[in-house]
Amino acid sequence: MAQFSRTWWGQRFIAALEQFTDPARLGRGRSYASGGRILEYTLAKGTVAARVRGSINPYFGVYKEPIYRTTITIKAITAGDWTKVIRQIASRADLVTKLLMNEMPDTIEDAFSGLGLHLLPHSERDFETSCSCPDWANPCKHIAGVYYLLASALDQDPFVMFELRGLSRDDLHAELVRTPLGKILASALTSDDVPVEPVESYYTLPTKEPAAVVASHKEFWTGPKRLPAPLATASQAGVPALLIKKQGDYPPFWHKDVSFISVMEELYDRVRTKNRQMK
Amino acid sequence: MHIIHGTWIPDDTNEFIQKGAFYLWVETDVPVSTSRNRTGTVHPRHLAHTALATFLMEKLGLQEPVSGALARTLCLKYFLLPTVAGKPSPSFELLRYMDEEEPMEFDLAPWQICCYQVPDIITALNDIHFIALNAAEDFQLGADILFWHQYSQAIKGIIAKDQYLPAQKYREISSPSINRGATTKGKRAKNSSSFELHPAWELLSDTYETTIQRYVAAMPGVCTAGLNSPDVGAALFDKESLLRHFSEYLLNNIVTGTPFTAKFDQQIAGTLLYGCVYPYRPALLQASADSLEDYKHWLAWRANLTKAHTEAGFTLCFRLEEASPTDIDNWQLHFLVAARHDPSLKLSLDEYWYLNPRDRAEAARPFGKDFEKNLLLALGYAARIYPTVWAGMATDHPAGCRLTLDEAFAFLKESAWVLGDAGYSVIVPAWWTPEGRRRTKVRLKTSLRSPKGAATVGPGYLSLNTIISYEYQLSVGGQVVTEEEWQQLVNAKTPLVQFRGQWMELDRDKMQQLLQFWQTHQHEESEITLLDMLKIGTEAEDDLEWEHDQSLRDMLSRLNDKNAFAPIKDPESLQGTLRDYQKRGVAWLQYLESLGLNPCLADDMGLGKTLEVIARMLKEREETGDVPPTLVIAPTSVLGNWRKEIERFGPELRTLVHQGSTRFKDKQTFAEACQKHDVVLTSFALARLDEKLLQGLEWHRVVVDEAQNIKNPQAAQTRAILKLAAPHRLALTGTPVENRLRDLWSIFNFLNPGYLGKEAHFRKAFEMPIYKDNDLTRSTTLKKLVEPFILRRVKTDKRIIDDLPDKIEQKMFCTLTPEQASLYEAVVKDVTEQLNEAEGIQRKGLILSTILKLKQICNHPAQFLQDGSAFTTERSYKLQRLGEMIEEVIESGESVLVFTQFTEIGSALERYLEQNKHYNTYYLHGGTSVARRERMIAEFQDPETEPSVFILSLRAGGVGLNLTKANHVFHFDRWWNPAVEDQATDRAFRIGQRKNVFVHKFVAMGPMEERIDTMIEDKKRLSSLVVGTDESWLTELDNDTFKDLIALRRSAVLE
Repeated sequence: MAQFSRTWWGQRFIAALEQFTDPARLGRGRSYASGGRILEYTLAKGTVAARVRGSINPYFGVYKEPIYRTTITIKAITAGDWTKVIRQIASRADLVTKLLMNEMPDTIEDAFSGLGLHLLPHSERDFETSCSCPDWANPCKHIAGVYYLLASALDQDPFVMFELRGLSRDDLHAELVRTPLGKILASALTSDDVPVEPVESYYTLPTKEPAAVVASHKEFWTGPKRLPAPLATASQAGVPALLIKKQGDYPPFWHKDVSFISVMEELYDRVRTKNRQMK
Repeated sequence: MHIIHGTWIPDDTNEFIQKGAFYLWVETDVPVSTSRNRTGTVHPRHLAHTALATFLMEKLGLQEPVSGALARTLCLKYFLLPTVAGKPSPSFELLRYMDEEEPMEFDLAPWQICCYQVPDIITALNDIHFIALNAAEDFQLGADILFWHQYSQAIKGIIAKDQYLPAQKYREISSPSINRGATTKGKRAKNSSSFELHPAWELLSDTYETTIQRYVAAMPGVCTAGLNSPDVGAALFDKESLLRHFSEYLLNNIVTGTPFTAKFDQQIAGTLLYGCVYPYRPALLQASADSLEDYKHWLAWRANLTKAHTEAGFTLCFRLEEASPTDIDNWQLHFLVAARHDPSLKLSLDEYWYLNPRDRAEAARPFGKDFEKNLLLALGYAARIYPTVWAGMATDHPAGCRLTLDEAFAFLKESAWVLGDAGYSVIVPAWWTPEGRRRTKVRLKTSLRSPKGAATVGPGYLSLNTIISYEYQLSVGGQVVTEEEWQQLVNAKTPLVQFRGQWMELDRDKMQQLLQFWQTHQHEESEITLLDMLKIGTEAEDDLEWEHDQSLRDMLSRLNDKNAFAPIKDPESLQGTLRDYQKRGVAWLQYLESLGLNPCLADDMGLGKTLEVIARMLKEREETGDVPPTLVIAPTSVLGNWRKEIERFGPELRTLVHQGSTRFKDKQTFAEACQKHDVVLTSFALARLDEKLLQGLEWHRVVVDEAQNIKNPQAAQTRAILKLAAPHRLALTGTPVENRLRDLWSIFNFLNPGYLGKEAHFRKAFEMPIYKDNDLTRSTTLKKLVEPFILRRVKTDKRIIDDLPDKIEQKMFCTLTPEQASLYEAVVKDVTEQLNEAEGIQRKGLILSTILKLKQICNHPAQFLQDGSAFTTERSYKLQRLGEMIEEVIESGESVLVFTQFTEIGSALERYLEQNKHYNTYYLHGGTSVARRERMIAEFQDPETEPSVFILSLRAGGVGLNLTKANHVFHFDRWWNPAVEDQATDRAFRIGQRKNVFVHKFVAMGPMEERIDTMIEDKKRLSSLVVGTDESWLTELDNDTFKDLIALRRSAVLE
């Protein structure tokens, strides 16, 4: 079955949910997460509130598409505990660095487990859910849909998990700046919106030189300088796809399950070996 | 002669996607008749239509699927070319082959040219480049094609390094919105902007940016001169934008033209990549809001990539510290940073974290701002490539990590290299250098043995007949090991072992192989010749090593260090002294000959190779007494010089010149005559014509002077020379032989046949990889192979510069051709009669005019006869020799001045050198305008200009000339007033000259030139009689002295 969320973190979230919810019910929510059924959702102080469009269901006496209000609240970690956790995280450069690169480190639970805490929810009691739909099942499709939406949001921003457990962005920032490594992370949290870059032409536009002054006949034909020395061919091939490897896998514009980096590696390899101009 | 041109021309279009293509055209020197040229804009000198198609197929090997198909694909384009008086001037390359001068002023006008549109640009240009290397007589590549070839190779290199990424181009489209309903009368229509996203590929690479800048700086203007139509107001393209357009198009073309599998297509279906790879297939529908969001994500991703390699002020370094033998799993990988602006400034993170915060800020300053953040990021990026780094970061003071033996080995074997290639600096233990790693080898232990039956010789005596025998041994790290020890190593489970105190890598499979090899061969006793030993030693460096006994070791070290030769003493019978480097050269010749190796003496022209050979011949006679004769084969124009030098320096050597109609024709008499002489001189032509005479005789040595004359292995004269039998062979040449591989092979085929393998094998093993693929390792191996046999000293060599005076004068003695001799005698006879009767002023006039005539004859008959006859080298050896010497100098990369007092000679020489030899030639004479003169001098002196020839008249060698770039000066004819001559040469090059200068004065042997020369030499010492600046002192001589002066001696003519 196709995964909905690709990074290990989003998947872990779903897996954690599956521990204490009926997987079949959970699965029904997947289709609700896409397809524009979730009209909007907000996340504040550990509570997700969403407006979900339901379906027509004569059995329940529903004759036109209703809009349900769905909320999910996850048990918060106390502020005091958060302080300790953040201090733990900030004592490890590997955790800080991964977060700096916008990835959730796979050893993140270490920082929590040492204090007897969990980042991921691991029992029913961690959740409080409600939905205005007539279906009494828990979770209903709408709640399940919101779960999946959260999972994909986690893909793009690991700190959403912190928010869900009660640590707002501002609080996160405040805690981080107390430690040297944390300060570094804090400075990188403010992200800028990248503006679009419209271009006039697909390739660089070849412009014309106005009334060029040609120095001499010889220069016109042979150039103002000697050609630069050609670079000798390297005897060994370099690291393939090195350029894009520096940014992690699954960039946000890539919506497939297969690894972006492995696809690009294959592309580069084929260009280098199968293209007759490159041989 | 044809010149191939070509360039990139973007299509004429206003569309968003502007394509382009590469067009090739061929210029010729012979105008093609164009009866269709009514409009007058068709370029008169290019190949068109069928002629072009034929050329492409025959010379460049293009195929056409159906007859006539190629001609149909040709198209017409326009080029803005320099035009003078309504005609396009020939290109710079073509000018040399035509009788036109470079235009000083010109306009640019569009000309119609028939072109071939090139598909697969990179491969096509590379193929054409390779073909042209070996077809110099038929056609040549224009500078524009050379530019595009090299540039396309550079782009290929960047693409091969994966330095590009999928991209999206955002294009704004404004379109008027549709008014809803009909109620909007009077309201103005609003424009809503929408957008289009076009998939593309982008180059993201520092190398690309620097490459663009370097190539824009060198781009010929003609590359920007292509047009699709000759509009009024057409202009050249801007260089940089044209180059970028080409590169981007090429990248796109290559990536989208690569075949992919169906499985791959499936994987990328529905993603941004699909559109990038298949821009022409209809894209899957996607809501535009999503695609805009994806575009923004892509922008952010690309922004991060760009930041990732430009922001930090330092590079991250890794240093592996080896474990101690007792704790073998404790290897340490330390993290360090090196400042970008000064890589020697390093800081180990161990130290950094140890400091208190204030000191840390201080220490971090040279490494750029936001040091700690960038440090973490850098470690994170490195960890993506080498995940073990994470282990070292599980602390708030990351400074390094610990590796087990296996991890350390994996690091050394692969990760170190991967990290290094990614731009990180990696420091590994010294024993992990390439030499250090190849430590397990099979060793050949050699010893000398005398041939069977001969008396035992003492150690250290190496001669032709000594046999080198060898046995196999196992060695590790240069030390011999027993079979048991070897087996122990093979049995060790770990890839890295400690052996006798040092860590080393073991390749167990290879060691097993070597063990088996040794076990089978260990009891053999094999022999090898010296030549084979040298050859195998160089080619199989990786797997074999040698342990030579003392004498062989000494021999090898001497072969490789040519300065270690103790200079010989001047041979007693030498009339004159050798310079220090010459003595060393003779010692080297002697040594190589004693080993049975045939050498090549390749000293720069003017350093005195002839003298070294003479000294060698004298020496061998001193040491061994009676020696059979040496055969010297040289160009005809040089034979006279050889004889003269032998006469002067080694008169004891009995010389026989085998030349001319009076030479020996009968084998018997020739053989007898040879027995009685020490040196037999003959020409290349006669080596071929008289090969039956020369073969079968017992020569002690065959010397080939100007060995470039046997560069063609198929030529009849080469083959004839190869058949000559002699225990020793010697090649002399002034040109750097290693630069022309085919010539090199042929010369070695003469000297040491078989050493470089058969011709076909050589081409495959060396020529193709070096020329076509730019393979450095093959090039290095070849150099190592030939190095022991070639001795080449250049004038700029510091070791011999002290030996050389600043200005070295050399006289080139040339004989007269029969035509010159007969003209000469006629004039002398004429004058002798008249001299008896003339008196006073009449007499003076007669003497001066006679001298003038004789000078002209000695230069070239055409100058004397003034009949417009051919200015060829057959009619004057002086001209022939000048051409050959200039060729040597130019090949060595140096520039030349030629002085003559005759304007007819000056212009004839210019024409000859430009059109027959195709050198870059300048001629400065009284009639040259000031502007042109300045231009010529500036161009000649420009370090970017290729080696050139500058012809001057003696008088013009006057005020304000700076021609210091030349370091050879030739005086084609003499002004019999040494003060004037010296002044001219001095003034022309003294200032700013840092190199030694060679002055060559041509003297025609036999006739008056030689004798006046001797007289002047004598008089220089007295410095009394020669006053003033003219030659009128000659008129002071009495009749008898004068007649004697001008009489032609028989020896002057070698016919």
